[in-house]
Amino acid sequence: MRRVGEDRADMDHSVLLVEDDENIRQALGLALEDEGFRVTGAVSGEQALRVLAGDGFDVVLLDLTLPGVDGLEVCRTLRARGDLPIIIVTARADTPDVIAGLEAGADDYVSKPLVAGELAARIRALLRRRGTGHQGEVLRVGDLEIHRDVGTVHRAGQEVHLTRTEFRLLVELAAAAGRIVTREQLLQRVWGYDYFGDTRLLDVHVRRLRRKVEPNPDDPVLVVTVRGAGYRIGVDR
Amino acid sequence: MLGRPERDARTGRRADHEVFDAPRPARVRRPAVTAVPRLSLRRRVALALGAGSLLITSALSFATWTLATDYLLRQREQAGARQAEVNARLVDQSLRQGAQGLEELLTGLTTGPDSTVLLFRPGGVLTSGRQVDPGVLPRSLVALGREGTAAKQRLRVEGVPVLAVTLPITAAEGAYVELVPLVQLDRTFRFLSAVMVLGVLVSGLLGVGLGVWTGRRALRPLTEFTRAASRVAGGDLSARLPPQTDPDLTHLATTFNATAEALERRVLRDARFAGDVSHELRSPLTTMVNAVQVLRRRRADLPGAAGKALDLLTGEVDRFARMVVDLLEISRADQRADGSEAEPIDLAELVRNVLAARPGSTTPLEAEPAWVLGDRRRLDRVVSNLLDNADRHAGGAIRVGVLRRDGRVRLEVDDAGPGVPPELRERVFQRFDRGARAGSRGADTGSGLGLALVAQHVQRHGGTTGVEPRPGGGARFFVELPETPR
Repeated sequence: MRRVGEDRADMDHSVLLVEDDENIRQALGLALEDEGFRVTGAVSGEQALRVLAGDGFDVVLLDLTLPGVDGLEVCRTLRARGDLPIIIVTARADTPDVIAGLEAGADDYVSKPLVAGELAARIRALLRRRGTGHQGEVLRVGDLEIHRDVGTVHRAGQEVHLTRTEFRLLVELAAAAGRIVTREQLLQRVWGYDYFGDTRLLDVHVRRLRRKVEPNPDDPVLVVTVRGAGYRIGVDR
Repeated sequence: MLGRPERDARTGRRADHEVFDAPRPARVRRPAVTAVPRLSLRRRVALALGAGSLLITSALSFATWTLATDYLLRQREQAGARQAEVNARLVDQSLRQGAQGLEELLTGLTTGPDSTVLLFRPGGVLTSGRQVDPGVLPRSLVALGREGTAAKQRLRVEGVPVLAVTLPITAAEGAYVELVPLVQLDRTFRFLSAVMVLGVLVSGLLGVGLGVWTGRRALRPLTEFTRAASRVAGGDLSARLPPQTDPDLTHLATTFNATAEALERRVLRDARFAGDVSHELRSPLTTMVNAVQVLRRRRADLPGAAGKALDLLTGEVDRFARMVVDLLEISRADQRADGSEAEPIDLAELVRNVLAARPGSTTPLEAEPAWVLGDRRRLDRVVSNLLDNADRHAGGAIRVGVLRRDGRVRLEVDDAGPGVPPELRERVFQRFDRGARAGSRGADTGSGLGLALVAQHVQRHGGTTGVEPRPGGGARFFVELPETPR
């Protein structure tokens, strides 16, 4: 069993918990603090946006059903501001809410009843540092230049803005240099899932990535689907 | 009679309603010995119409026959009698003038090969035309002629129907007898009677046919009704009667449809209720599992009874959480609303992934690539629930197999536990049935929905689920799914 305060390094990480249910906010806050995060609560979308106007948070845990400004709206607003990692909390994993939330820019989702231990793993996976390669390492895919160390992508000298998750997804595919990467591998390496059958998370992110890097997102040539297996980078094109 | 073939059509009932149709009324059996086999309404109508038609046409035929034959016969008799009278007068005259050329005259008087003329004289009988033994003629008839009275009688002479006309011959105290053949008339009568009998029969058959047709037509709405009712009984609550135009049937159809609709609404509401309850439990449950997690980390601070109680509490809260999640998954009324699409999946690869993700799993996998069309999340759930089941009831799976067999992909999860007795093999896939397996109620009993979820997910994929004894002891849970070409 894990000891209290084992992940002291996470104390540097600050989580904003947007949840209108007082009890959940308190219990989840306590449990996440046990996991080593600094937790701040917000009861509504408006309050969340106000708090987040300043800097200082590493990840947002966002309930989709909020009074007032709803979760999806908050999600879109935050995504427009930057690439702050967002995990949405949905009532049920099997509703269109999940897709809507991911399309609105969320990086991951959890469904109630969510457990702090599981959630902590999700947060840590999201917060892994963006730059992972050696200094000066550049991956080239088509006309894209991926600077692994600094975490930027350029097309013809122009920077393409990707979220942290989109960037890691692209790097995983590009590093395989045209070999197929299975859905399970991607889910594990990018999101830290050990075992997970729901590939909607991956599908939506691939869609979002294509919209940003493909010349024609409807006819993808860079991020190619291999039906029944996974994805690969279209290096030959 | 009407609903009999449909009564057993209970297959294909939907799993959604399975939990609600348990108190099925016992089927009413017919007594083994029925005193009088009752005819169906349709047959009774047919028979009545057939009999009625037969009666009317036979009465008509009989009247026609009587009138026609009577008239024709009278005509023929009158004609024959007149002719005979003329002939007799000629013979009489000839006898008066001295009987020369009598033979020639008689020959000339016969009108055809079948007609006969007999002249009875005190000396003997003179015959002309078809030769007939005078003895076959009734003595009384000849006597009447001799006594001076004209008479006629219908006879059969040597197989030929004739009209015998006798007339007195005053010149010779004899009798003139002419046999007028009625062959033609007889033939006509025969033909007429044949036509009429045939007509009567045909009209009877037509009556039966009309009855069958009318009956079927009149009962068609009832057949539809039976079909719809048995579909409802079979679990398809969406069955409705088509709108009826016949004012006699509109009421029945409306009532039936209203009943079916009320029933469907109610069953759906009941099904949704379980889902709604679980849904509402999610928020308090989130608080509970996280509070429990905080407590669990501080287990060391709670010695003795408090610690023991905490262990019990945390264990049950976890189980409660699992149960609510499973209940939500199984009670979804509209299962198509989750946006997941079927995709080709290599079941062997999927099983390998599931096994690899299980902490401390060493179960050997015997698998060949086997592609199925399915939903990854649900199939993952199927595999891990089967493995959980083996862990819980049989000390863990000892082999997992993925085989291809006649266009089906078969997943097998073997364990070396106590096995599942035959009478429980269907029941273990029902909801909350874990109590049925002896000795299985330990500390970690799961949600009681694991295998039911397996069955439901597999059914959604068009597959089948079952359990059989493993060769060498233990149980073998299997799932068969349709194979899809890669």
